[in-house]
Amino acid sequence: MAKAYTPGLKVTGRTVHRCRRILPIRGEVLVAQGDRVEADTPVARTFLPGDVMPVNMANLLGVPPADVHGCMLRKEGERVRRDDAIAQTRGIFGMMRRTVKSPHGGTIETISDVTGQLILRGEPIPVEVRAYLSGTVAQVLPGEGVVVEAEITLIQGIFGVGGERSGRVVLAVKDPSQELVADMITPDMKGCVVVGGGRVWHEAVAKAMKVGAAAVVAGGIDDQDLREILGYDLGVAITGSESIPTTVIVTEGFGDIAMADRTWQLLRARAGSLASVNGATQIRAGVMRPEILIPVTPDAVLPEFDRRWPEGQLEPGRPVRIIRDPHFGLIGAVSALPPEPRILDSESKARVLEVTFDSGEKVIIPRANVELIEA
Amino acid sequence: MNSPERLGRRAAACRLIPIVSVLVPGLAPGLLLVALTLPLLALTRPLLAAPSDAPPAVTGITAADRWGDGGTAVVLEWTVAAGAVPEFFMIERAMSEAEVAGDLATARLERRRAAQRTAMQAVLADRGLDDSILARPMAIEPGLASRLRSVRAEAAAGIDALPDDAFDVARWMFVDRVEADAAQTEYRFVVDRLVRGESYRFRVIPWTGTAAGTPAEAAPVTTTLEPVDISRLWFFGIALVFCGAVVAFILIARSGRPLRVRRIAGLEAIDEAVGRATEMGRSVLFVPGIQDMNEMQTIAGITVLSRVAKTAAEYDARVEVPTARSLVMTTARETVQAAFLAAGRPDAYNEDLIYYVTDEQFGYVAYLSGMMVREKPAACIYMGMFYAESLILAETGNSIGAIQVAGTAQPAQLPFFVAACDYTLIGEEFFAASAYLSGSAEELGSLKGQDVGKIIVAVVLVIGVVLATAGAMAGADSDLGRTLAAWVGFLRDTVLA
Amino acid sequence: MTRIEPEKVTVILATDCGSTTTKAILIQRVEGVYRQTHRGEAPTTVEEPFANVTIGVINSVTEIGELAGRRLVDGNGRIIQPARTGPDGPEGCDLYISTSSAGGGLQMMVAGVVREMTAASAKRAALGAGAIVMDTIASNDRRRPYEQIQRIRELRPDMILVSGGTDGGDVKKVVEIAELIGPARPQPRFGGEYRMPVIFAGNRDAASLVAKAFEDEPIDLKVVDNLRPVLERENLGPARDAIHDMFLEHVMAHAPGYDILMNWTDAPIMPTPGAVGNILRTIAERQGINAVGVDIGGATTDVFSVFDGTFNRTVSANLGMSYSISNVCAEATMANVLRWVHFDMDERELRNRVKNKMIRPTTIPQSLEALVFEQAVAREALRLAYQQHKEFATTLKGVQQQRTVGDTFSQQTSGQTIVDNMKLDLLVASGGVLSHAPRMQQTALMLIDAFEPEGFTTLAKDSIFMMPHLGVLAEVHPQASLEVFERDCLIYLGTCVAAKGAGKAGRTCFRYEVTGETLRESGEITCGDLKLLPLGPGESATVTVEPARGFDLGNGPGKRVARSVRGGTVGLLLDGRGRPLVLPESRNECRAAMARWLSAVSMYPDRELHAVGGADRRRG
Repeated sequence: MAKAYTPGLKVTGRTVHRCRRILPIRGEVLVAQGDRVEADTPVARTFLPGDVMPVNMANLLGVPPADVHGCMLRKEGERVRRDDAIAQTRGIFGMMRRTVKSPHGGTIETISDVTGQLILRGEPIPVEVRAYLSGTVAQVLPGEGVVVEAEITLIQGIFGVGGERSGRVVLAVKDPSQELVADMITPDMKGCVVVGGGRVWHEAVAKAMKVGAAAVVAGGIDDQDLREILGYDLGVAITGSESIPTTVIVTEGFGDIAMADRTWQLLRARAGSLASVNGATQIRAGVMRPEILIPVTPDAVLPEFDRRWPEGQLEPGRPVRIIRDPHFGLIGAVSALPPEPRILDSESKARVLEVTFDSGEKVIIPRANVELIEA
Repeated sequence: MNSPERLGRRAAACRLIPIVSVLVPGLAPGLLLVALTLPLLALTRPLLAAPSDAPPAVTGITAADRWGDGGTAVVLEWTVAAGAVPEFFMIERAMSEAEVAGDLATARLERRRAAQRTAMQAVLADRGLDDSILARPMAIEPGLASRLRSVRAEAAAGIDALPDDAFDVARWMFVDRVEADAAQTEYRFVVDRLVRGESYRFRVIPWTGTAAGTPAEAAPVTTTLEPVDISRLWFFGIALVFCGAVVAFILIARSGRPLRVRRIAGLEAIDEAVGRATEMGRSVLFVPGIQDMNEMQTIAGITVLSRVAKTAAEYDARVEVPTARSLVMTTARETVQAAFLAAGRPDAYNEDLIYYVTDEQFGYVAYLSGMMVREKPAACIYMGMFYAESLILAETGNSIGAIQVAGTAQPAQLPFFVAACDYTLIGEEFFAASAYLSGSAEELGSLKGQDVGKIIVAVVLVIGVVLATAGAMAGADSDLGRTLAAWVGFLRDTVLA
Repeated sequence: MTRIEPEKVTVILATDCGSTTTKAILIQRVEGVYRQTHRGEAPTTVEEPFANVTIGVINSVTEIGELAGRRLVDGNGRIIQPARTGPDGPEGCDLYISTSSAGGGLQMMVAGVVREMTAASAKRAALGAGAIVMDTIASNDRRRPYEQIQRIRELRPDMILVSGGTDGGDVKKVVEIAELIGPARPQPRFGGEYRMPVIFAGNRDAASLVAKAFEDEPIDLKVVDNLRPVLERENLGPARDAIHDMFLEHVMAHAPGYDILMNWTDAPIMPTPGAVGNILRTIAERQGINAVGVDIGGATTDVFSVFDGTFNRTVSANLGMSYSISNVCAEATMANVLRWVHFDMDERELRNRVKNKMIRPTTIPQSLEALVFEQAVAREALRLAYQQHKEFATTLKGVQQQRTVGDTFSQQTSGQTIVDNMKLDLLVASGGVLSHAPRMQQTALMLIDAFEPEGFTTLAKDSIFMMPHLGVLAEVHPQASLEVFERDCLIYLGTCVAAKGAGKAGRTCFRYEVTGETLRESGEITCGDLKLLPLGPGESATVTVEPARGFDLGNGPGKRVARSVRGGTVGLLLDGRGRPLVLPESRNECRAAMARWLSAVSMYPDRELHAVGGADRRRG
């Protein structure tokens, strides 16, 4: 078999991208199909049901659960304020009545005859969904949300932390292998997506947070630096909900790695444009990679890349990146795809391919350890 | 002056006193033997010794109150000239006025009785009678009776008229005998068991064979009480170790070092018992014993109740606490309410589930048994002081299929609980429960500290038993035996006292 | 689904859609017996951009077809049925079955009244059915009701199992739980439009009240028999079956592409772990043994055990070799991982490598050093997973105890683990790092180091992770399933003989005498020794061991044991390292000890290994 399926990350100059912007529960959509939206335009809104507070009425009143209904001063569905009297016992000949006041404000949702429990629902919590991507509303999902569409430059990173942000793309380094250190972060980068080259140091991220940068994008990061940024050791790669002010995205991996040339050229070409970034990464069950979305106008000048390779197929001549030691991070071209498995250095038997580097050096790599560079 | 023989007998009687309190019963006969033999040896010795020249004089005698005691001892020190050492010294104490007066009165009484008898015998002899008639008063004719009365009075008056000097009453009392050593010229002896605040005079008489030397008398000395009794320093040391251990462990616990406490299955099972009640939709029955709040075990039981209540609050289970004392009810209510509050469920607390039944032991038990059979609680917890009701309760609980946890320090009731309940806290475990449950540094520390104390006591006991046994094996009259016996005495009277 | 005539079946195709790879096997009747003949695999395609599981299935089946020289997929991308001879040679299969754990498998939430009692039983039922339990809600889980509601809302499980109360027992709490779940309006994971499946397996007296509580909510309630009718007994079967039914009816029907796949298969699709449990239970029952199976995956590690007929399964959700590798290192600590490595490794560099494996989970170790490290991580993952399993597989809690006065000082609590390594007879390994280890010795030693079996334990591995396929096959064609299981599925590695106890290094641990047709040897194992004797597959021998004082090999400390043992691709391993296994504290001593043991079983090729570290700069 001369072709093999190996998925890779998308790094593409021009593509039509659709973003589903969905409310957590049904609500109201604020825009119409075809509307032009900016990244921060609210597109849908709803109210999350408030927190639920059970109150044990039977105990508070000192009556059996079945009698709770009879003692209620307020009905189901009524709104009550904190400390409103909500129930009262009948007492003896009208004397010695016991009154229960509402411990919280909210709406009386249900009163159970079995448990004597009253469910008090707190005030609804407003939730708003923003467009995130500047573009046009391609589809309205009534009551749920919208699909925003735009032609963009799409760069998927390998790993990120932090949520959705947007800002102008600014280059902080001169070449894709230059490390991003604290000195390169300047106050005028406030609200920007700062692009570094190689490894990003945690001091640089700290500085970026201090100046109020929206995001930092770099080739690699050291595990230790990540720990400094987060304050804990990341166990499972499900990220995006960290409470950090600046989103951090790495495009290549952990360690001292330079940003891939193609990614670098695209970011350099798009410097100054407004980008939407999201660090959310989920590697298990429903793969999500961090993304950098930069809306592109038809007249924008983009670097030219080889576009002759079909998606997801390994073929001789195709550029690949090696994603495991001992050649971690290197980029070369497939020069052969031997069909029969080979014995590796570790004695494992695996299907391999031959990669030729620019220097002409050839190495044998297991197919699992390469990643396509997608057009 | 008293003869050595007579004094020796007195001393023998004194030495018997400590024997009575011997702790190790098996060794008592042996020690008794030692105690009896020693004075006998002392008695025979002067009689066997050959007569010789008068012993040399004792010089430089001093008597001083011993420092650092409760005013019960005096230290005597004296010297003899080198090369002229007597065989032994006799230590004597001047008898006090009261003692002398007492002795004098006794002597006078004896003398009076003797004189009266002699006088009466003389009268009876004149009539040809013997004194056996005195035992039959009805047989004495009235004339003779009055005659006898008058001679008795005369004889008594004659003796009463005698001055004190006429009686041979000892002014000095034998204290002890100190063996002399040819190489030793300076001697020291401690006279103890004296009365605090009294003035005492002592003298030392050197003896060689049967010849006594000149007594040397020390200046009078008054026993005084000092603020510190150094003979009890051991006590201080032991108290320091015990308290120190407690303090040290508290500090360790506070510093965050975990102190391991052995798992107590009965307390771990509380969660399970309450859980069972929750799942089965039944209540948890808690019985805090039948004694009032002045009983330690009731207090320990209430500590456990607080844990039960907290668990019940978390599980939202019903805990029913019928009590046999009103005060226990009040305490239990407070405790349970606090526990529900601590668990963040103050609304789930129901005061009516903790109530007073009756002070009557069997009335209470009858109520509990009836309630258990009717309501079938899923868990029964008995924590406190129990008597005859233990088995009635535990068996009833077992028959209704409840998980039962019991805890008591009543040794007689433990077997019943162990047999009929799922888990039982035994004696000390029951009291350790509060430390175990609270996990507070203070309580854990003192629990551990007390354990150290217990270990020390156990070690001392083992050493004592070993020494006492070795002493008995070595023979009571060997030197080793005596030394060991002294050590045992020290451990028993000083360390463990 | 068509009716199956077992005697006519000659070609069986089975697939297992894992979260990363879809594995297909082909079983054919060869000379009257069923044998597994070929296998193939392809990446799973449940996620975007494909969002259709059948693409991965077809890819894997195509691969198997190429290998077998049999056309299995037609031009429309459908599996050809039945088996026949087509124009280009043989084509098609008679029976097609599948299991699935893709998209994270079946994710459930369970609820019960008391965490240690009905909630634990509910968890056991869910795990036994092959689900991942995301959270357990109980009235004593120390969360306030609104926090529980918050959690239910956040999690979006595929299904909820509610239990609680014994029959005739508590009603109030059970209804309370229902009253929490109802207003929380849990959202199913796939798509918003279908009703959340909820199974109620609690107090039957509460069933109608629970139904009432769910009345107005978008919930599809199914009521089955109580899984804990009395506290003394569990009845997990009905709940487990209900989970399987609901899995097909609701969850599978909504996962991308599964509606198509369900039409293709000749037997209901089962959650992969449920199928593995199925087959393991069958073996343990048939042979009357205690068995432990482990499947270490990229994200999770499943441990299955059958002890004295009681089946238990646990899923350690964050212990795995790729997605979760970083978590294994964090939970076990790097120091614990490195104690299994016999050469120098730089921690910083390793941490980066671990994270890189996490974000690119499909890579495989190319260098020997990387392999040694990966196997060290595997040991820790397995050890932690087994520890969790032991804590979960316990006797029932909340049971009344029967006591005598003799129990005064040894009051055992209920809820003790039923896992007893001394009673363990068979340890089966599966999952990439174990079954794809280049040398069998590596699999054997990883198992021994992580599970610490005691006494006599037979070690085996699932050759190509065939157990899930056979678990489903057992439902429709038991004969084929058992024939393949006995001939092709398990590869016996050998037997481990290990003494329980501890002793000073150099002291005698036990004396042994082996008498077999091919192996006759006797000698002595000292403490800290590991010895491998050759005893090939299919061979057996009688081993008589005499443990030294303080060591136990099954008959009690110091007592002689004689047993017949099974050979395998590794052989007979005599382990005098003691149990529990304690490694030297000092890094150097530990490394030396490890090197000694590794060379005793010739674990790795005999060549020098380079210290890992000193990151050099690489260009992209």
